[in-house]
This record gives sequence, C-alpha cells and structure tokens, in this order.
Amino acid sequence: MMNNDFETLMDEAYDLPDGLAKLEILEAAARYADSEGNIEQGYEARAEIVQTAIFHGYPLKALIAFSWQLGQYDRSPESFESFNLMWSYKWIVGQISHFPEIPLHKIEELVEDLGKRYKEHGYNERTYFYYRFRTAMDLGQMDKAQNYIELFQKADRDHMSDCDACEQNQIVQFHSLLGEHEKALEAAKPILSGDMSCAEVPHITLAYLLLPMLELQSEQEARKTHIRGYRLIKGKRDFVETIGRHMAFLALTDVKKGIDLFEHHLAMAQDHEDPFHRMIFYLYSAKLLKQLAASGSKYRPRLPVSFLGTEEDTSLDSLADHFAQLALSSAQQYDTRNGNSYYMETAEAVLRP
Amino acid sequence: MSEQQEYRFQVNLSGMINILSNHLYSSPKVFLRELLQNATDAITARSSLDPAYKGQVSVEIAGSGNNLTMTVEDTGIGLTEADIHQFLAMIGHSSKVGKDFLAAETSFIGRFGIGLLSCFMVSDEIVVLTQSAADGPSMEWRGKPDGTYTIRKLDTKLSIGTKVYLRCKADCTDYFDPAAVEELLFYYGALLPYPVTLLAGGQQKPINAVQPVWFAEPELARGRRQEVLAFGARLLSEPFEDFIPLRTANGRTGGIAYILPHSVSLNTRRSHKVYLKQMLVSDKAENILPEWAFFVKCLIWTDELQPTASREHFYEDDRLQSVRDELGDAIRDELVRIGSHEPERLQRIIALHALPMKALAAEDASFLNTIYKWLTFESTYGERTLGELINEKRKIYYTATVDEYRQITHVAAAQSLLVLNGGYIYNYQLLEGISYLNPELELERLTPEDVSLSFIDLTLEEKTSYYEAIRLADVTLQRFRCQIQLKRFKPTELPALYTLSRESSALRSLEKAQESSPDLLSSVLSNLGASMGESAYSTLYFNLDNPLIERLFTTGSKEMLPAAVEMLYTNALMMGHYPMSRQELAVLNQGIVRFIEWGLTANAGNGGAK
Repeated sequence: MMNNDFETLMDEAYDLPDGLAKLEILEAAARYADSEGNIEQGYEARAEIVQTAIFHGYPLKALIAFSWQLGQYDRSPESFESFNLMWSYKWIVGQISHFPEIPLHKIEELVEDLGKRYKEHGYNERTYFYYRFRTAMDLGQMDKAQNYIELFQKADRDHMSDCDACEQNQIVQFHSLLGEHEKALEAAKPILSGDMSCAEVPHITLAYLLLPMLELQSEQEARKTHIRGYRLIKGKRDFVETIGRHMAFLALTDVKKGIDLFEHHLAMAQDHEDPFHRMIFYLYSAKLLKQLAASGSKYRPRLPVSFLGTEEDTSLDSLADHFAQLALSSAQQYDTRNGNSYYMETAEAVLRP
Repeated sequence: MSEQQEYRFQVNLSGMINILSNHLYSSPKVFLRELLQNATDAITARSSLDPAYKGQVSVEIAGSGNNLTMTVEDTGIGLTEADIHQFLAMIGHSSKVGKDFLAAETSFIGRFGIGLLSCFMVSDEIVVLTQSAADGPSMEWRGKPDGTYTIRKLDTKLSIGTKVYLRCKADCTDYFDPAAVEELLFYYGALLPYPVTLLAGGQQKPINAVQPVWFAEPELARGRRQEVLAFGARLLSEPFEDFIPLRTANGRTGGIAYILPHSVSLNTRRSHKVYLKQMLVSDKAENILPEWAFFVKCLIWTDELQPTASREHFYEDDRLQSVRDELGDAIRDELVRIGSHEPERLQRIIALHALPMKALAAEDASFLNTIYKWLTFESTYGERTLGELINEKRKIYYTATVDEYRQITHVAAAQSLLVLNGGYIYNYQLLEGISYLNPELELERLTPEDVSLSFIDLTLEEKTSYYEAIRLADVTLQRFRCQIQLKRFKPTELPALYTLSRESSALRSLEKAQESSPDLLSSVLSNLGASMGESAYSTLYFNLDNPLIERLFTTGSKEMLPAAVEMLYTNALMMGHYPMSRQELAVLNQGIVRFIEWGLTANAGNGGAK
C-alpha cells in the first residue's frame, strides 16, 4: 500500500463495495494527492469520500472532505465542476444538526449559505426551504417545520431538488414523529404503492409507518411492513437509526425479536459516527432491555467485544440503564443546544414503563 | 382460391419494431428466443388439455441469398381465426401504450403477438400457418413491417400446431447461419422438456438430447460431479472445478452455482443464467443472488419470478428478495457443510475468493466460525492463515488499522510478538468477531500504546541526567500536541516510535481540512475538533538504546536538540503517511535548511557550534 500511486489507489477503491475499507483507501489516495500537491486529484478523491462516507455512517469524514473541497472551489471556482459539489452540500447540511457540538446559529448560517449558493447557481428556493424544513424538524422546531413544508411545496422542482420520493418520505417522517398517524399513512400512499422510490425510500419510510399502522390498521399489517422494511436495511450502517425505529415497534409487539435486532446491530451502532443514529438506537435498546427484564427474563444478550471490554455488569437491568443513560445524555445535549425540550420529552416518554 | 382478406394494422408498426429492437431487446438474436417461447407456451397449453400429448419443435433453414428462409414449427395448441384477430388487436393496443404494455402482457395470445413482432428485426416478411387444436379451418397470416397483412382460411387441413416462416433480411444472414442458430437454440432451449431439432443442409440435429435430471433435482448433482461440471462448461463457456447445488424451500427455484475458477474483483458485475419455466430468460441476471455471492456463476431455473418487459431481467419485488435470500442461504450452508466435511476443498475455495468470503463472514457469525482458520492475515510472522498462526501457540494480537500496524510492526517483531494486521479490508471486523466467538483463543487488540508498555523505563540516575534534555524535547513538540518519552526498546536500529490513537488521527485530518476550508465550515470543524482535543495527544518515544538518540540526548546543544527532535518528529509523520499541517511543513523546511548550514559550517572546520 505504501508504494501505490494515486491512480492505483483509486482503482483499488473503485473495486471495493462502499464502506470503511473503501474509505480508508480513498483517504490514502487523498493524502497521496496532497503530498504531491495535486489539488485536482485531491478533489477527485474527496468527492468520492464524501459520497461514500455520507451514505455509510461516516458523516464526519464526509464533512471534513467536503469542507476541503468547498475551500478549493471558492479559491478558484472556474477550476471545478460545481454541480456535484453543490449537490453534496445538501448531504452535509442534512446531517449537520446531528452534531450537538455545533451551535444553533452556525447551523442557521450553514442553511443560509446553502440557500445563497443555490441562488447564485440559478436554482430556485425549493431546495433551500426543503432543507429549512428538515433542519427545523431535526431541531425539534415542529411548528417552524410545518411552515417550511408549505413554502417548499409552493416552489417548482428543479435540478437541485431532492427526488420526489425523498421529499415525500420526509413529510411522512414529520407526521409520524408528531404522532399524526393518519396523515403519515396518507402521505405514505405513493411510497407504499411503489410509485415513488429511490435508494433510501421506502427503506426509511416503512419504519416510520409501523406505529401508525399498529394504531390505525392492524398488528398483522404493521408486522408485514416491519418484515418488508427490515429486510431492506438489515445489517446496513446507513440505517442504524431506522433499525432503532423497528426496535420501537418490536418493543410493543415482539420483544424477543427486538433483542435480536439489538444484538445484531449494537457493534455497528457503537462505532457509528452520527450521534443522532446512536441516540435513537440506544433509546429503543434501553426500552427493549427494560421490557425483557420486567418480564423476569434472565437472558444474557450477546454483546460485542468492544462493549465487553468496558462494562462489567451485563445483567439486563444494568444494560438497560447503561443505554438509557447514553440516550438521555445525548437528548439533553441536543435540547441544550436547540434551546427546547423536544428530545428529552421524547426520550422520557419512550422510557416510561 | 379460398376467401382472403386484406387488412392493415391500425398502427405504426415500424414504430413498434423500433421500440422492440432499439429499446427493449439487447440484440436481434432474441427473435429465436421469442419463437421458442411461443412454441413452448403453445406446447404447454396443449399439454394441459391432453396430458398424454408430447410436443416437439423443428427448426429448418433452407435456401440461400434472397430465398434464405427459416421455419420454426411446433406441435402446440395452434391458433384459431379468433386468436389471430385477438393478437393483432393486442399489437394495435400495445403500440399505443408502448413498452409498459409489453411488460404487463402475460397471456399466451398477447405474448405470442409480441414475440412474433420481434421477428421483423431479422425478416421483412413473416408467414404463420396454424391449425388450432380446437378444430376449425387451418389459417394463414402474412405480415409485412409496413403494417399490411392478410389473413386467409386454407383449403387443406394442416396438422395441429403452428409454423412460422421468416425470409432473411439482406443484412441479417448471420442470424440464419446454421451453426449460429444451433448454438442459439441450445443456448435458449437446452433445458426444454421436449425435443428441439434443427434441419439444415440436409442434416437433422437434435439440440437438447441430454436432459440432466440433476438440474431439476439439484440434490442429485453431488453424485454426478463430472457431468455437472461439463454441462456448466458448455452452457456458461467456462471450465469449472466446483459447484454448489441450489434450491429454495418451496421448490420453485433451484439450480447450480458454479464456483468461478479465478479470482474476481469485488465489484464485478455478476451475471447468471436464469431459466423461467425451462426457457432461458436472462444470461445476465444480476439481482437473483445476494451481492456477496459474486464468486459464483449460476444456472438457475424458476417458475415464480416476474421477468421485465425485455424478458432479460427480473422485477425487483418481494418475491425476488426472498428468493435471493434463500439462494444466498443455500450457498452459505453448503460452504459451512464443506468446511466441516471437506476442509481442504473449502480451503481451495477461500484461497481463490478470499475477499468475498471475508465480506460474507463479516456479516454472518456462523460462517465466520466455519472459515476463520483458513483466512490469511499479514502478521509479524509473515503472511499466514489464522489456523497456522494459532498453531504457533503464541498469544495473538491484532491492530485496528494499517497505520497502527505500521507503527508497531518493527517494535513488535523485535519483541517476538505475534501481531496481525487488522487494517486491511474487513480484517478488523473479522478479528473482533473471531475473538468474540472463540474466547479461548485469547485474541487481543493491540494499540501502539500497549506496545510501549513493554518499553524499559530509564533508571533514576538516567532520569536525573537526561532531565533537562527530555524537558527541552517535550517543550519543542508541545505546540504539535505531541509529548515525548525517553525509553529503551528493541530494535536498537529504531530511533523513535510515533504513536497516535484513532481519535487523534481523526483530529489531524480535521485540522488539516480546516486550514483550507471556507470560514463557516472551518469554524464548524473547530467546534467538532474541540471535543476531540483532550484525548488527542500523540506520543513520540525516543529509543535510548539507539546510538544516535543516545548521542543526541547526551551531547545535543540547546540549539541542536530541539531542531533534531523536530526533524525526527516530522520524519515520523512522513513515514506514517500522516497529513502534515502547514506549521509542520514549515518546521521541516526550516530544519533542512538549518542542518545544511550546520553541515557547511562543520565542513569549514568550526564544529557544530556557531
């Protein structure tokens, strides 16, 4: 690996499935390009890093590579093709609020910067408003989010817009999170019928329909959707949060199966770079473990080595406490940053027996 | 002359043919598949009326030049006059809605018409003679690509079945070449359960003489190794050495997965041959097996999947999902079985296909446990299988990344530690899994910090005498958040060991990106970096057993020691392929200049002092 030149490394990376292994080689390629002072190659490698990292649970790596790219672009805009760069800006802005260290005003500035740049590139306000909506939703500002839904839907689609399936999916999520189950199911119709789909839809959407279906339709219907949805995301790092939402459904219907999901994905969740994914996963892990403990079970869950190294007591009760604490402290961090109590309220409601 | 009627399609037939040839089918040669499919459907339909009936298909090539023709005759159910009008109406309809209709159409008559149209890709005139099993007169249909056609009732009574005549288009003689037709008929129809023959140049040849029973009953394949391998070699045009029988629980999909005799890249497009109801549908079906299974090439039959409009792929639906999962399970289970019964055989497979095996093992604990002994790792004891390394009866350590491995490999080797490089694709994940599944192996993750624990501390006297030098070196690297330690360790040739945790490694690249980012993103990065900061100290261990280091720390002047420490530090960064910040590069440049100056001064006879 040491003597490889840039092209060899890139070829090797292209040969690999998306994931950590590929990222490490792409990073080596970027370092190589940097050491040669080759900005064009450094840019090329980082474009790949952004795309691979953002969809495989490494938002931090994506952010680091993207920031570098944007810096080069700003320095000489004529040297780089801008569409892909502007497109990946959406991915960055879409996840930035997941990092509680980043203050609220900076998140605002980023969305504004995205809007400004899109305007300069001749795109209309749909995508800007849409990311305003998504950010507001992530920050627990649900009233604001509702307003932005109306705004973004008024503007026409253009080449910078997310696909219709993605947009519709976010609307389903919004209603589902608010407990507006009827509206969630209504909004999900074109997705359930297969008229709208993409690389992440219906994968994510189905998880947000489980509780609505359980309440308004039948357990059987919800279970069918769970099986269909889980099959699409099982074992995939990009969907750790989504897996957490399946665990939420299983906590109400099939605790044993829920513990299966927990065991299967804990290692993946633990080293996930996105703290928001971790929080959701831990929250429902805690819920499941609590319920199993309350049923009087003496089951010992399978735990990854990386976990066993640090925790002595692996009884159900203490595991449940452990994950509840992790989830709650994340929720608290988000609320402190966001200046509201959305995540603590949500988490406490989930953990209430 | 019997009654004859002239008709014209109420459609733009050339438009339809354009859709078929340019957008739907990948090559004109599929007309043969379509004709075989029509014949098969007709025979199946007749069999359902009369179970005792045995169908057959004869293909004949005759004439030459302008009179080169092909006849495809089946003894299937045949068409009535009403059937003919119906398929014509369907063609009319499908021309209005286009491709989607072709996909949706599954009725015998509808597909018949669409299949027939595909023949216009190679023929300017199509004649169909047919006698329906439902009695009525024998019929003739004659069609041209301009959309005109005639239908007439024949005076004579033909035997039950359908005969399609094609006259070769000027530039299509390749598709009428007997050898090519024979090859294609075998390609599409090798598994058809009734005889297909080709008559050309006065010679009659059976196409599908051998019907392998083990194909329908894949469990039987294990006992007929040579036959199975030879069959695969002919149909998939590759020599194979091993295979795995496949079958889903409901018995509606099955086949043979041949193991590729050569290594393939992880992103190779996987193409399998799939037979739907014994007719070849696709020879590049990619989505019928899980992604990890690209080390096999399959012959698969199914009667439960829905082909796409072109009949060359399958719709990605729930049914396909579960078929794919089950076929994947079949491959995995068989590998596990081979592992316990014929370990050498599994070893050969793993040696050829290490990467996909690792990918699979990373997702599947029981598979991992079956194969881990045959996985090869880079180690301080050479490139060996884990089984061999376990037999060394040493404590086994592994690193999480290539960087960590690189940092400690010299030191570990000098101390006879057995360390595996966990940094390459999937290795770390696999080693974590193995150590979890097999606690008795006592595999242990090793970090560079761990290695340093075995370094020998300085004695109290040494500490006192080197106190000033150590402090000076430490202060020098303070601004790079690197602390220094003076120890004694093997190998003595190694002057310094630089260790950096994963966290600080991440911080390094974050800070590097910060330097060239726009202000807003740069400040976002610094917010993120702040929380990583505390844990992000790296350490540079200097080896007092190394003569150069010993001299440096003993006699280095106040100017010389910091300069040398900085150079050793930047050198360690370069050796470890770490991204260097502007500040570090500047230090390196100043250092080089300074040492050249000192060198020149020394040459002039002044020694190192200014």
